[in-house]
Amino acid sequence: MADTSTPNATSGTWALEARDLGKRYRRGWALRDCSFRIPAGRICGLVGPNGAGKSTLLGLATRQVRPSTGGLQVFGVPVDDPGVLPKIAFLGQDKPLFKRFTVAETLRMGAELNPDWDAAAAHRIVRSGNVPMDARVGTLSGGQRTRLAFALAFGKRPELLLLDEPMADLDPLARDEMSTLLMAEAVERGTTVVMSSHMLTELEDMCDYLLVVAEGRIRMAGDADALVPAHALVTGVSHDGALPPELDHHTVIEVRFLGRQFHAMIRPKGPLPADWEIAEPSLEEVLLSHLRSPDAPSLYTQGARVDAEGTQAA
Amino acid sequence: MSATLTDKPTGTGTSRRLLRGLPWLVVRQHRIALACVLGLTLLTAIWIVYERHNLVQLLDAKGWPEKDAGQPLENNRGYGYITSIINGLPLILAVFIGAPLIAGDQESGTAQLVTTQSVSRRQWLIAKLGLAYTLALVSGVVLSALFTWWWKPYRSLFPSEWIDGLIFDNTGPVLPAFLLFLTAAGVTIGVLVRRVLPAMVGAFLFTAMTTLFVWDEIRVRIGVTHMFTYPLNSDLPERFNDAYEADRWVGSADGTLYNWGICAEATEKAQNSCIKEHGIVNNVIEYLDYSQMGTMQWTAAGILLAGTALLTAFTLWWTSRRPL
Repeated sequence: MADTSTPNATSGTWALEARDLGKRYRRGWALRDCSFRIPAGRICGLVGPNGAGKSTLLGLATRQVRPSTGGLQVFGVPVDDPGVLPKIAFLGQDKPLFKRFTVAETLRMGAELNPDWDAAAAHRIVRSGNVPMDARVGTLSGGQRTRLAFALAFGKRPELLLLDEPMADLDPLARDEMSTLLMAEAVERGTTVVMSSHMLTELEDMCDYLLVVAEGRIRMAGDADALVPAHALVTGVSHDGALPPELDHHTVIEVRFLGRQFHAMIRPKGPLPADWEIAEPSLEEVLLSHLRSPDAPSLYTQGARVDAEGTQAA
Repeated sequence: MSATLTDKPTGTGTSRRLLRGLPWLVVRQHRIALACVLGLTLLTAIWIVYERHNLVQLLDAKGWPEKDAGQPLENNRGYGYITSIINGLPLILAVFIGAPLIAGDQESGTAQLVTTQSVSRRQWLIAKLGLAYTLALVSGVVLSALFTWWWKPYRSLFPSEWIDGLIFDNTGPVLPAFLLFLTAAGVTIGVLVRRVLPAMVGAFLFTAMTTLFVWDEIRVRIGVTHMFTYPLNSDLPERFNDAYEADRWVGSADGTLYNWGICAEATEKAQNSCIKEHGIVNNVIEYLDYSQMGTMQWTAAGILLAGTALLTAFTLWWTSRRPL
């Protein structure tokens, strides 16, 4: 199953590996005790409510933010080593570009600042969107600007592409176009992608790996294919408004009462009573219940967790 | 295949590639500001050469220095404009070059764009500071050299004394050092404020405070003053015409100094009796001699360059430890 695509402990095959990673700002911890791994070649969704620490995590991985505790490795290279820079590309939420530069000058900037610049790929991406080369960036539409930012990111030939809500400000057509472009380029080169997004359907379509963050901690990490089957959506009869004792054997993520009935998102740890109605949840349902219940125990699929010593936890 | 790709009209013909990498980026980004400052420098430089030429011709016609040439630079419009431009240059560099240098990229997010390419934050900052400092240095050295060349042989004809800011700050090594220091100050204010407009206002206020008040106090304290004593009823010798008088006393024969106005009485009689009573026989001046100007200018430049180094180190340290 999912385990076949999870690499062994050889660190080179992990695109991103965090150990006890934490970032403290003056107002408190933005991210705390984060230990996780993302295998190379995957499309990883970074999910969490606003202020959960997603942007901080992406900032740490792109050297914009320095960790307060712990460390992060990108393809086995510590993130504080400048050698990480050519390996990663970052596309921020507002996709900053020099507004007075022309498209050609923006691409030249990519060529000037990146040793492994792939001019052919960058030009192909820009041309396929019919973005005029001599247009000033400030005059481009949102979709065209995103396309140019993508061209800059892919022209860098990154091994790891980090995206912070890349499609948030695009119209549905441009969003569809950019998703297709992203998937095509990433698959063609085997680029590992980590993207944060609020669009759960977008994540369901594109991502095969998930990192769920809430209140600065990792809630779930692992294969999308393995995380969902670990959950069950059960419906049963409540006992005078209280949960049935059978539920205590399982990990309860979220419970809701509807009249005499209860609905619960659980992680079954054994056989479930026959009189309960059991359904397999969708990824969206699993994510939503975790986001609603940040105190639920966290879940890592095999390989996704790193303990303090760096050995693989079960 | 790659050959055909580079043939595409990307506007990056190899012949135009004088600059590569980060230097190209910072020059491209700031090319308008760069052109404005360099243009202003060039114009002022030509103007100085022209005004000096005029002055030389005028003096030749009048037979100077054998004959008195009057005050040819008094109410001279060219001189007025040129000194205004040179005096305004620190403000221009601090407010329009220094303040937005990093703050502009922080505000627009392009700091993030550049530092997530394959260049480190420090490399980028050094390229940016390098551009601003080179501009300040080039502009300062050119204008200072020309202005010194204009002023020095004809300094007795200039309406300002050597210790005045107009001369002292705009000649020799002081002008380039001043421009560097205020550019660095603008950059530092920008890095702290992170927004262009407030940074420009901050840089404006800082420059105004420094050039109008603080530096005037520092300038006259840079040199070591000397004392000169001469008889009460004689004139100050001519060789002190160029000296800057920092203070003045009256003194008795045993060397006791009294406040200059101690015997300012209503009647001459009272005055004379006061002078007699205190045994006052000398005038005493505390002065800075013109011959000290060179040393003072290099000391001033040293102070300003040390300030520049401090501000630069602070900027690099500050930006390394927090997100851009």
